[in-house]
Amino acid sequence: MLPFNLGRFSDPPILILASLAGSPKHGYAIMEDIEAFAGVHLGPGTLYGAIARLELAGLIEPLPAEERRRPYRLTASGVAFLREQLTGLETFATMGLQRLATV
Amino acid sequence: MKLNTYLLRLYPRLWRERYEEEMLALLEQHPLSFRDSLDLCLGALDASLHPPLGTTGLSRSDRTVQLVATLRRSMLTIFCAWVGFLLAGWGFEKMTEDAQVQAVAHAHSVVGISFILFVLGGGIAVLAMVVGGLPIVLTVIRSALARRQGGPLILLTVPMLAGVVFWLTTWLLGANDQPGIQQLWPLLHHKGLFWVTLLTAAIASPAAVCFAVVRSEISEQVLRFAVFPSVLAALAMGLSLAATILWGIGLQASAPHLFTGDAGLLRSSTTGTWLGIVSAMALATLLTGFFLLRACSVRSALRNATE
Repeated sequence: MLPFNLGRFSDPPILILASLAGSPKHGYAIMEDIEAFAGVHLGPGTLYGAIARLELAGLIEPLPAEERRRPYRLTASGVAFLREQLTGLETFATMGLQRLATV
Repeated sequence: MKLNTYLLRLYPRLWRERYEEEMLALLEQHPLSFRDSLDLCLGALDASLHPPLGTTGLSRSDRTVQLVATLRRSMLTIFCAWVGFLLAGWGFEKMTEDAQVQAVAHAHSVVGISFILFVLGGGIAVLAMVVGGLPIVLTVIRSALARRQGGPLILLTVPMLAGVVFWLTTWLLGANDQPGIQQLWPLLHHKGLFWVTLLTAAIASPAAVCFAVVRSEISEQVLRFAVFPSVLAALAMGLSLAATILWGIGLQASAPHLFTGDAGLLRSSTTGTWLGIVSAMALATLLTGFFLLRACSVRSALRNATE
């Protein structure tokens, strides 16, 4: 588990987008992946609440179902949105580290 | 049946049609902890409060149809809750007509002011509901006249007929107290007739209005407009509820003998009547709040879809 709080980047939608940035995944795979890379356990209600919101916002889209499981992937808007969010985080982290270097 | 399936049944129908299978597949792979069960319950509440989330698999036109139907159901439920609130408020108003209670209201400002606030909240709630409901009723009438359908018009007369029947019953009950007439109406001796008439009128009136609205074509704009007055009505109901609670606390503090006495409806316990009225008002306000949140979520989704 990560030893620090991810702050607003631990919001379920951002975590799901980051998970799907690697490859399309279904619900259980997203849950496992987020637990592995962020140390955050998303409950099934929270996970699907966020998936529905992301789908409604057009940031992710469902792929044809594989048996009962339905994989999701990022849309072009989802990629742009995630890039914007992560660039903001990168800028913030760079600035913070530069200031720390002078301490 | 497994707990997973029971918990997923808490979700709205549209949501289940879209996500149930894949959620079940996930839950079969992932053992459900207590925390996850709680998370599912909260997820079901979230999905119920945000109906647009369950419509992601629908086409644009189907989605609009479903959202308008959801908005209409929400507004009708708010209307029914409002009727329940009015009835409870009417009971409270009757209870405060007691001479001893009136005397306490004049002597103790907390009891007096809380009653004024109750009346103010009730008045605002009625006005708000008239403002929001009138365009819907007019649409029902216009639609019935245009389609030459008498059904919705007849249904709209039910509240008036129920009012007349209720008024006649109370008049007969009053007349029944006169000597001589007592023999003619032995049945009316029973207070049960009063309650049966009241409950029948209270159930039949909103039910008839709801049927009339469901059987008519109400435009999305009219339903969307009704959300604003409903917000005001909900706030006013909250004010009336708070004032009624304050009134009871004030009465208990200033006239404990009266609070524990029999100044309630039909000479029943004051505390029991007050608690019953507060519970009914609280339930109606909670229902209004819940369905108002649903309505606001749907309204916002419909507005975004048309912009």
